[in-house]
Amino acid sequence: MSARGIAATIGSAFAEVRSNRASFLTQVTVMVLNDAAWVVFWAIFFDRVGSVRGWDRDRVLTLLAVFMTGAGAVLALLANARRVGKLAADGELDAALALPIRPLAYVLVRRMDAINFGDVVFGVFLFVVVGDLSPGRVASFVLAVATSFVVLTGFLVTVGSIAFYAGKGEAGDFGLHAVLLFASYPIDIFSGGTKLLLYTALPAAFISGVPASVVDDFDLTRAVAMVGVACFFALAGAVSFRAGLKRYASGSVWTRA
Amino acid sequence: MTRHWFALTMRSAGQRVFADRAAVLVKLTFYVIVVTAIGSLWRGATDSNGGEIVGYTAAALFWYVATSEAAIVPLTMRMIEEIGDDIAGGAIAVELLRPASVLGVRLATEIGRGLTALAPIAVIGAVLAAVTVGAPPSALGAALAIPALVLAITCNVMAQHAVAAAAFWVRDARSVWFIYYKCVFVVGGMLLPLQVLPDWLQSVAFALPFSAMAYAPARLASGHVEPWLLLVQLGWLGVAGLAAWAAFSAGQRRLQVVGG
Repeated sequence: MSARGIAATIGSAFAEVRSNRASFLTQVTVMVLNDAAWVVFWAIFFDRVGSVRGWDRDRVLTLLAVFMTGAGAVLALLANARRVGKLAADGELDAALALPIRPLAYVLVRRMDAINFGDVVFGVFLFVVVGDLSPGRVASFVLAVATSFVVLTGFLVTVGSIAFYAGKGEAGDFGLHAVLLFASYPIDIFSGGTKLLLYTALPAAFISGVPASVVDDFDLTRAVAMVGVACFFALAGAVSFRAGLKRYASGSVWTRA
Repeated sequence: MTRHWFALTMRSAGQRVFADRAAVLVKLTFYVIVVTAIGSLWRGATDSNGGEIVGYTAAALFWYVATSEAAIVPLTMRMIEEIGDDIAGGAIAVELLRPASVLGVRLATEIGRGLTALAPIAVIGAVLAAVTVGAPPSALGAALAIPALVLAITCNVMAQHAVAAAAFWVRDARSVWFIYYKCVFVVGGMLLPLQVLPDWLQSVAFALPFSAMAYAPARLASGHVEPWLLLVQLGWLGVAGLAAWAAFSAGQRRLQVVGG
């Protein structure tokens, strides 16, 4: 029942997001143009400065490809991941609790966001354009995107679940913006405490930098570590949401989450 | 309505900024994160290029970034989208009933909000830059950057209203804010000084209004004493204001004719 229920929810979310086809295509196009502007920025930057701490244009474009595809997929397919804090704080989870499906799974797949499909389209396009498409590199890219996807989802659910205790959803929003911002830059430009933070509590390194380095130069140890971190954040998200639900107070708002 | 409704609306919007202290704190923290990230990038770049890039030292670039971000972060990021929603949802039609200009009240609100949020951000930015790289490269440049920041925010608010007015005619103009901000980021000089751009793009950037919104105050704060930048900002302010007024006037007439 649970798997069928999830599949049906995904189907309904996708039907909803593409119900206005013109708007869907406009939003995807806008995001593609937005992402292209980032590529222009980095191309101009590296054209002027050469390389920075081992990062050159091609490496950063690989980083962007992984980041845009992985993070874009989270924000497009699991749009509620960024809203967990608000839903919890405003008591809008009632509908999810009444269904014969795991509440977190339902909440995550319930909504999609049209505009971030543009990130996924552009990220994949960038990967195809930037590097060679050998089977090994393609497999590394898929693994990198998958771990980036899981780390970001787990992180967003974890910080969003703070709202069960704090009563406010700002932490999730702030966490999202901070992690996305840091993840869009090469990790080695940071040093000291900031770098440590990006490998731990604010795992931007595992959303873009580390996965991109696995695509560029596959290393089994790094890949295993990356998957381990993804498992950790998946578990952290599930555990913190489940623990938080025990403190959930209904807002008597019967939405579809 | 008093004669000073514009100033009153600005003041009231400014007071509302500090009513939500959590939001101010989030904005300040976000500002520090952005400046840290981009500042680190430019420090790495100058290290790799003998300590200077297109006439900017690492310290000058840090002051540049701290100022360019201070010109952008105080503003409501999705202002264009929100105005578009209000037009599409009919809120603007209701505002027409007020005995004051719809555009005027909206401009006063956003400018009041932006300038109020600018104050703590500018202070934090100056402290962050001073602690990280030392005093500003030029005291006069830093002093000129203050009015330039005020002009930058005012110009940006007016330009966003001019762009958002497209929602009077186009059904879904909300996503335009992404493109608008990318223009501010790159050809507006928020992420990088315009001198870093290739020559042809530099010419384009200097011919566009976006440079008045980020580059001008940042260039001044980075030690380049070029007071004429303030005149350029004033010029673009006039153009953006006129464009917003013309677009809203035409849009409101259309609303009244079509029925909103």
